[in-house]
Amino acid sequence: MSFVTEEMILNMGPHHPSTHGVLRFILRTDGEVIYGCRPDVGFLHRGLEKIAEKVSYPQFMPYTDRIDYLAAMNCNFGYALGVERLAGIEVPARAEYIRVLVVELNRIISHLISVGTFALDMGAVTPFTHALREREWVNDLLEELCGARLTYNYMRFGGVSFDMPTGFLERVGNFLDYFEPRLDQFNRLISNNKIFKERLSGVAVISREDALDYGLVGPNLRASGVDWDLRRDEPYSIYPELKFEVVKPPSHTELGDCYSRYWVRILEMVESTRIVRQCVSKMPNDSYWNRSKKKLKPPPGEIYVRTEAPRGELGFYLISRGEDRPYRLKIRTGSFSAMSIVEKIAPGLMVSDLVTLIASLDLIAPEIDR
Amino acid sequence: MQPEHIRKRLEEALGITDLVWTASLHGDSYLVVPTEELRRIAFFLKEDPQCAFDTLMSLSGVHQLGEPELLEVVYHLYSIRLRHRLVVKVNLERPLALSHFYLRMNSVSEVWPGAGWLEREVYDMFGVHFVGHKDFRRLLLPPDWQGHPLLKDYQESKAYRNISTIREKAAPTEIAPDDPRISVKMSTSS
Repeated sequence: MSFVTEEMILNMGPHHPSTHGVLRFILRTDGEVIYGCRPDVGFLHRGLEKIAEKVSYPQFMPYTDRIDYLAAMNCNFGYALGVERLAGIEVPARAEYIRVLVVELNRIISHLISVGTFALDMGAVTPFTHALREREWVNDLLEELCGARLTYNYMRFGGVSFDMPTGFLERVGNFLDYFEPRLDQFNRLISNNKIFKERLSGVAVISREDALDYGLVGPNLRASGVDWDLRRDEPYSIYPELKFEVVKPPSHTELGDCYSRYWVRILEMVESTRIVRQCVSKMPNDSYWNRSKKKLKPPPGEIYVRTEAPRGELGFYLISRGEDRPYRLKIRTGSFSAMSIVEKIAPGLMVSDLVTLIASLDLIAPEIDR
Repeated sequence: MQPEHIRKRLEEALGITDLVWTASLHGDSYLVVPTEELRRIAFFLKEDPQCAFDTLMSLSGVHQLGEPELLEVVYHLYSIRLRHRLVVKVNLERPLALSHFYLRMNSVSEVWPGAGWLEREVYDMFGVHFVGHKDFRRLLLPPDWQGHPLLKDYQESKAYRNISTIREKAAPTEIAPDDPRISVKMSTSS
């Protein structure tokens, strides 16, 4: 007896709990197996690039918070760096250290959300509450600095908007002392969990060639076995003075699968705590903001500046015509290229593994749509 | 390899003479290549062992006002293997009166598959058509959207599917002297 199957179009999203924002996938499925996947993006398009052409350089800083709201400091940093390079603004050493400190703290909490929601999407609810509890501490620290808990608007051209309050560095140290054993606890709770491991191992393997072809960046690229980190390979700010390792996928994972992408993020949090500790111990005592009273008008020219954000390379392509506002600003984000590879990787997966794939890529919708 | 050497290598290997190298004092320098040669150049830049540009960092459109009015498509290339970068530009002249006249150029999505989505975004925002793209449609905006917003002369239509795009000014709310809201406010302050 022959068994006839039928293809079905399955609409996933835009309000699916696993889509981390508003994303939609149009799936062609046969039973549980996906044959085609068309991501439909743009639900969170706010026209940031058009807004950039209408407001002055400093006025665009709060908008950069909204590119990736889980890592607003990193977006601030990338934009500030781009404008500073174009306009030739010097940044005092203290400001550089404060910047790297907050950026790495932000990387820790962004990865916490990433691994927490990953576990949540796989059906493990408790780890997410643990991740959120740790994140609250950093949110409090950053609130002390700039008054905001999510969209910081903290960086300025030539420095940062506020100096650290007294006792801040001790409190950062306290957090790190608290966090490091908690991360081990988190690993015992979920990362080394047998069910979790078997659920992720070997799922949605992205080869090194595919990763490079589709322009994957950051943790996703490193998980596919490309030894690449902008902080080391195209150093900016004070990263050359700091000691840290570029994370390689651990040997107990298969190269390029969901589990290795998960582990790269866990290990990056450890590296970030090392960087933060060095910033705390080396913090210089000069000015926090090289403030200029003049209206900022960078000379005509163009520049592409990229920094290592939690979701990988965050590039700002700035064109100046000597006016007080950018002539053109293009934002290149990690989630965008990660989303474009889903079309290629999804066919052949089970529907439930697509959830694993998009959680492991750490996609965040506002960063795709901008 | 220095960008200047890359240009020489391109000229020697492909026999293209009209490459324009623009050096810049501030920021990045770039190479302007002829539109019709783009695909050949892209294949060469990726496959040649001395260039080996394995990643496309970014692909953006730029509407350059002025004389002549240009639409630029900018490719930021990087070689992770050889650790060098190159900015390649293609200039398309924009026929002024014919805003519905679409600009055409070759797609590089076969060379760097990641360009596929980026080209769709450039089409969405600037209206440049990429020939040879396998799945060519808008990316971020709805399929029935009118116009291409990142063009400098873009006029937003007044409504989209009968939803107004104009923000109404809120009418000033009139509050009577005996409005309970006022008394609540006063009682909390006293």
